[in-house]
Amino acid sequence: MSEKDFAVPQKRHMGLKASKIISNTSIHILLAVISVIWLIPFVCILLQSFRVESTYQVGYVIPKQWGFDNYANLLKTDFPRWYLNTLIVALCAAVFQTFIVLCMSYALSRFRFKMRKPLMRFMLILGMFPGMLTMIILYRVLADLGMTQANAVPGLILVYIASSGMGYYVSKGFFDTIPKSLDEAARVDGATRLQVLFKIILPLSKPIVIYTILTAFMGPWGDYVFAQYVSFGTSAGKNVAVGMYGWLTNDQINKFYTSFCAGGVMVALPVTVLFMFLQKYYVEGVTGGAVKG
Amino acid sequence: MTKYSDLEYLRLSKGDKFLYRLKCFFSGIPLFFKNLILAIASAFKKLGLAVAHEAADLVNTFKNGSVPTRVSYAVMGFGSFCRGQWLRGLLFLLMEIIFIGYMILAGGYWLGMLPSLGLQGPEQVATTVTSLRGGTNTVYTTVYHDNSFRILLYGVLTLFFIVAFIYTWRVNIRQNKINDQIIRSGKKIKSAGDDMRSLVDNSFHKTLLALPLTGILIFTVMPIIFMILVAFTNYDGTHNGFSNNLFHWMGLNNFNEMLNWSSGATSYAATFGEVLVWTLIWAFFATFTNYFLGMLVAMAINKKGIHFKKGWRTILVLTIAIPQFISLLYVSKMFARSGIVNNFLMDMGWIDQAHLIKFWEDPTLARITVIIINIWIGIPYLMLITTGILMNIPADLYESAKIDGASAWQQYTKITLPYMLFVMGPYLLTSFTGNMNNFNVIYLLTGGAPTNNASSAPGTVGYTDLLITWLFKITQGAESKYYLASVVGILVFVVVAVISLVVYNLLPSIKNEEDFQ
Amino acid sequence: MKKLVALVLSLMMVLSVCSFASAEGVNIDVTIWVAEEIKDLTAAQIEEFNATNPYGITFNATIEAVSEADAATNMITDVEAGADIFCFAQDQFARLVQAGAVAKLSDESAAWVKENNAAGVVAAATSGEALFAYPLTADNGYFMYYDKSVIPEEDIDSMEAIIADCEAAGKFFSFEMESSAWYLASFFFATGCVSEWVTDDDGQFIEVYDTFNSPQGLIAVKGMQKLVQSSSHNSSSKGAEFASNSAVVVTGTWDYVTVQDILGDNMGVADLPSFEVDGVSYHLGSFNGCKLMGVKPQVDSVKAEALELLAEYLTGYDCQMQRFDARAWGPSNLAAQASEAVQANPGLAALLAQSPYSLPQGQIHGSWWDIAKVIGDDVKDATDEAGLQLALDNYQEKIAALFTLSDDVKFGWTIIGTCNSTDGFFYTDYNGETRSNWGEDLPMEKVSVDTWKSAQAWDIEAGAEFKVRQGLSWDNAFPGDNFKVEEAGYYYIVFNETTGEVSLEAAE
Repeated sequence: MSEKDFAVPQKRHMGLKASKIISNTSIHILLAVISVIWLIPFVCILLQSFRVESTYQVGYVIPKQWGFDNYANLLKTDFPRWYLNTLIVALCAAVFQTFIVLCMSYALSRFRFKMRKPLMRFMLILGMFPGMLTMIILYRVLADLGMTQANAVPGLILVYIASSGMGYYVSKGFFDTIPKSLDEAARVDGATRLQVLFKIILPLSKPIVIYTILTAFMGPWGDYVFAQYVSFGTSAGKNVAVGMYGWLTNDQINKFYTSFCAGGVMVALPVTVLFMFLQKYYVEGVTGGAVKG
Repeated sequence: MTKYSDLEYLRLSKGDKFLYRLKCFFSGIPLFFKNLILAIASAFKKLGLAVAHEAADLVNTFKNGSVPTRVSYAVMGFGSFCRGQWLRGLLFLLMEIIFIGYMILAGGYWLGMLPSLGLQGPEQVATTVTSLRGGTNTVYTTVYHDNSFRILLYGVLTLFFIVAFIYTWRVNIRQNKINDQIIRSGKKIKSAGDDMRSLVDNSFHKTLLALPLTGILIFTVMPIIFMILVAFTNYDGTHNGFSNNLFHWMGLNNFNEMLNWSSGATSYAATFGEVLVWTLIWAFFATFTNYFLGMLVAMAINKKGIHFKKGWRTILVLTIAIPQFISLLYVSKMFARSGIVNNFLMDMGWIDQAHLIKFWEDPTLARITVIIINIWIGIPYLMLITTGILMNIPADLYESAKIDGASAWQQYTKITLPYMLFVMGPYLLTSFTGNMNNFNVIYLLTGGAPTNNASSAPGTVGYTDLLITWLFKITQGAESKYYLASVVGILVFVVVAVISLVVYNLLPSIKNEEDFQ
Repeated sequence: MKKLVALVLSLMMVLSVCSFASAEGVNIDVTIWVAEEIKDLTAAQIEEFNATNPYGITFNATIEAVSEADAATNMITDVEAGADIFCFAQDQFARLVQAGAVAKLSDESAAWVKENNAAGVVAAATSGEALFAYPLTADNGYFMYYDKSVIPEEDIDSMEAIIADCEAAGKFFSFEMESSAWYLASFFFATGCVSEWVTDDDGQFIEVYDTFNSPQGLIAVKGMQKLVQSSSHNSSSKGAEFASNSAVVVTGTWDYVTVQDILGDNMGVADLPSFEVDGVSYHLGSFNGCKLMGVKPQVDSVKAEALELLAEYLTGYDCQMQRFDARAWGPSNLAAQASEAVQANPGLAALLAQSPYSLPQGQIHGSWWDIAKVIGDDVKDATDEAGLQLALDNYQEKIAALFTLSDDVKFGWTIIGTCNSTDGFFYTDYNGETRSNWGEDLPMEKVSVDTWKSAQAWDIEAGAEFKVRQGLSWDNAFPGDNFKVEEAGYYYIVFNETTGEVSLEAAE
C-alpha cells in the first residue's frame, strides 16, 4: 500500500488548524482503542503460552511463573510432524493452486471461445452448492486412491488444488484490468499466446500472483474440518489444526491447554510475518480483482 | 403498471426510483417464469434438432467417407493414423482401449448395480474352527458383498466416462469428415506439429483449461451430483451401504419428510424455517456491519495527518493472519460463563456473581455476540479492500464538492458511498451468500449453541446454527442422516440461487465485463 | 460380475490363509487405537504378549492415539480404514453394533468376558443375546470434588447447604446441567426414575422403559431447579474449574490429578450430596459406566480369533492392573477390583461411596443424550410447577416420537415362511445356509411411502409358502392365506402396506 494520502473532507468553517488537531487526535484515540480490542485475544494466547505453573485453563491472564516449558513440550509431542505436514500441504497448495488459478483466469479473461459464458455461469451455479457434504464422497475417493490416514498429505494437496479453478474470480478481475492492446501489439510482433502470457502479462501481475499464493497458502494452513475427515486415526497424517484440536478434548485439555496456546503462537507466526511483508501486494491484488469481476 | 421512459425515470425521486425498480422486478416475475418455460421448451426443441442433425451427419459422413473414415467408426483414430496425425490417432485409440477395458473389467458391474444400489449386504458367518487355544470355537466373521456407496460413486463416474467416450468418438468422426473435405479440396492436412503449435497459440485456452476443468469435474461436479442423488436414497448411519445395510432409492420421500408441515411447530419444516430466517438475519448483519465499519476504519486510517498508518493496518490484519481455529476457539472460551470477560467485569465490580453475562446461553445474546465477534474478524478484510477503492475515487470530485461547500457528511453520502456501493455491489452479494454458508465462525464459536429445545429435527439444532452448520450436525448426529443433510443442502442451494437472482436484478448496474478492459 | 467379485474375494482369502500357514507360527499386522495417555503402556503390553503368549502369535502392532470419544465416529466413517482393536466409551456401543463396526465375540471369548467381569459391565457390552466388546474400565462415573476451605465438612451431605456456602463465598458450584444428559440424570436417579432401553442382536433399539415423566420425575426437576436457578451454579464438569473460581465440581476420576494440583491439601472428595423436596431427602444418583474395547469385524477367522486373544489379554487382570498403577484407571476385572491397591485409591473410593446410588449405564439410544440434555435449560427457565411439568412433557413427547420414527421392529414388516429343501426357498447364494422355516423372520426394507421389499433376493421354489407380518406378531399378517409361489425363480418379495398386497418381483 503506498502511503499516498486519501483526501478526506474537512470542515471549513471552524478554525482549520484547531479542528484538524481535534479530529486527528480523536481518530488516533479511536484507532488505539480498536487496536487494543483487536490485540487482546492474541496477547492472551501469547501470555498463556508462557505460563508454566499449570497446564490447564485458569481464570487469570498473566502467568505467575514464566518460561518456555510449553514450547519445549511441543517438541515431545507429534507437533513437529503436524507442523511439517501442514507446511508441505500449504506450500504445495500455494504453488499448484496459483498455477491453476492463473491458467483458468487468464484463459477466461483473454480468450473468447464458444463455451466461455456458459462455463462461467455453470461455475457460478456450482459455487452455490454447500460444499460440506461433498466431504463424505471426497473422503471415499481419496480412500480408494490410498490417500487418507497416514497418506493424508498428498490427498489433502490433491483436494485443495483440484477444485481451485473455481476461485478464478479475483485474478480474472485483475487480468481484465490489464489493457488488451498490450497483447495485441505483441501478437502483431509474432508472439504466441504462451509467450504473451509469460513475457507481457505475468510481469505486470505481481500483486495478483502474490495475492493468490497468499490465500492459497492460508486456506490449508488453518483447515480443520476436511483435514480431520481424511486423517482420522493416525497421528502421522494430521495437520496442526486437527492435531491441536485433539488437545481440547475433555481428557486432554487439562494437560495440553497451555501447549495449545504455544502451538497457536507457532502456527500464527509464519502467516503473520508473510502478511506483514506482503500486505501491500495483497491489497493491490484484492482491490484490482475482487470488485471488478 | 405504468412504464416510464428513460427521461421520466430520471426525473423520479430517489425513493420512487427504487420503488419503481422493485415493482418492475416483481411484475417481471411471472414474465420471467413464462420466459423460462419457453426457454426450456425451445432448448428441448433445439436439443432434438441437434440430435437429429448429428445423426444425419453421422450417416452422411459414413456414406460419403473414405475407407479410413469408415474404419474410424469402429477403430477410433484409424483415420488420423492414415493421414499422419499420429498424435491424435494415438489419443483416440488409447481412449477406446481404456474405455472398452474399463467397461469389461469394472464399469459393467457398477452400471448394472446402479438401479438397485446393490443386491446383498454384508453377512455374518459363524464358523466352528479348531481354536488357537485348543478345542473348538465358534468364531464370527463377516463376508462383505455389494457396497451401495461405491456403486453410487462409481456408477456416476462410469456414466461420466460413457458421456466422455461418446463425445470423443463423435470428435473422432468429425475430424475424419474434415480431413476428407481437406483432401478433396487438395489442401495440406494439419500435422502433429501443427496440433502442438496450436495448443500454445490459437487454442492455448484449451491447454490452460484442461487441467483446472478436469479437477473441477472430478472433485466438484461429481461430488455435487453424488450429493444430490443421496437426497433420493435412505443413506444414513443404519444404512451405510457397506458394513451394515445397503441403501436404496427412495424417490421423493426425503423431501416429503423435510418439508412436511403436518406436525406443526415440531416438524422439520418449521425448524428449517427458523434456521433459514436466522441465517438470513445473520448474513445481512454480518455483511453490512462489516462493510460499513470496515469502510469507516479504512477512511480513518487513510485520513491525512494520521500517523503509523502501516502499524494500524498490520495490527488489524493479524486477525486474517492467525488461523481461525486458534483465534475463534480462544475467543469463544473468553466469553464463556467463567471466562476471562466475565471475570474481568466482575473484578471491575460492574457485575456480580448473580448477574454474569450469559453470552453463549441466552439465545438472543448469543446471536448478538456472534455478530459482534464476526465484526472483529471481518473488518480487517473490508479495511484492506476498501482502502484500495477509496484511493481510486477521483480526487477532483472532492475538490469540486469542497468548492461547492459540501460538508464532510454530505461528501460521504453524495460521493463516497454511492461510488463504493456501485463498485462493490457484486462483492456485497457474494459476501452475503458467503456469509450464509459461513461455517467456521459459527462452528468454532458456539457450535450452534444454545440448543433449540422446541425442535425435534435431527442434529440438535441450536439458536445460532446456520443452515450449513445444521447440515453438518445432521451428518454427525447419533443417526447420521446423510440423506436429510443432502435435502438441506439442495434447499440451501435453492435459497442462495433465488437470492442471487433477485439481488442481481436489483443492483444499480449489471455491469458489462468488457467495460473494464 | 458379482461372481467375478466373489472370485477375487475368495482368492484373496485363500492367499491370506496361505500366508498364515507358510509362516512359522502366526504373524499378524494389527492397528490399535487407544487413548493418548496409555499409548506407550499398550505398546509395552503388546511386546510382553508377543514374548510370552502360548499360541505362537506375533503381532506387528501400529498403535495410534485416538481418544475414546472419537474412536466410534471414526470407525463408523470408514470401517475399512478403522483400527482392528479400538477403545470407546460405552455410550457409543449401540451405534457401533448398528454400523457393523464391532465383531461379535466368539463363544469362547464371550464366556471368558462373562466369567471375569461384573454383570453391569458385561451388560454394557451386550446387545440382544450377544457380546460385542471387552470391558476395559469400570470407573466411568462421577462424584463430587470440593474445596475444603469453602465447604465445611458438615455441609457436604446437603446440596442446599453447599449452594448456600458457595453463594456466600461468591464461588461456583459446577455441575453440568445444561449440556449433558449424563450428569443431569443424577437428579432423576435420585428419586427412582429410570430410562432403560433394550437392543436386539443388530444393535437396534426395540423397547424403552422410561419413567422420567412421572410424579417422581417432577420431584427430581424441583430439586434440579434449586441448583440451576442458584447464582452459584455453573454448568461445567471440568476439574480445571477450580482454577476459575469454583468451590465444587462434579466430575470423575480422570480429573483427580488436575484437581489435586490446583487445590492441594484443600481438596476433598465425596459422594454426591442429597437434596430436599417437601421435607423428603433424596441422595443424588449417578451413571456407572465403563469403557470398552472392540474388535473390528474380520473376514478371516484365524485373524479374528487371534485379535480376540489379544483383546482378552489387554483387558485381562495384568494389563488392567498396569493401567491402574500407571494412570489410576479403575479396573472392570473382578479380581483386579478386589485387589487392595484398587480398594485403597481415594478417587475410586469416592466412586465406591457413590455406588449404592448409581445405576449401571446400559444400552441407551444415541438420540436420548440429545433429547434429555435440554431438560436442564427448560428447568432453569421454568417459573412454576406447570413449567417444570412442561419440560417433562416435552421430553416424553420426543422420546415417543423417536421411537415411532426409528423403531424398525415395531412398525417394520418381515417375511416368515417355509423352507422346502437346501436349494429351496430362502436359500442364500453365498454360504448355503437355510434361513427360515416358519422360525426366523427375514428383514424387509421400506423402499417407498408404502412399499416394503425384502432385503435381498432368493431362489424360491414353486410351492413355497410365506406370510408378511408386522412387529413380529400375527396380529397384522398378509395375505390371509399363505402366499404360494407358483413358479420357481430368483425373486424379491414386495409388500404394499396400504393394500396389504404381497407380490414377487423377479431379480436380475
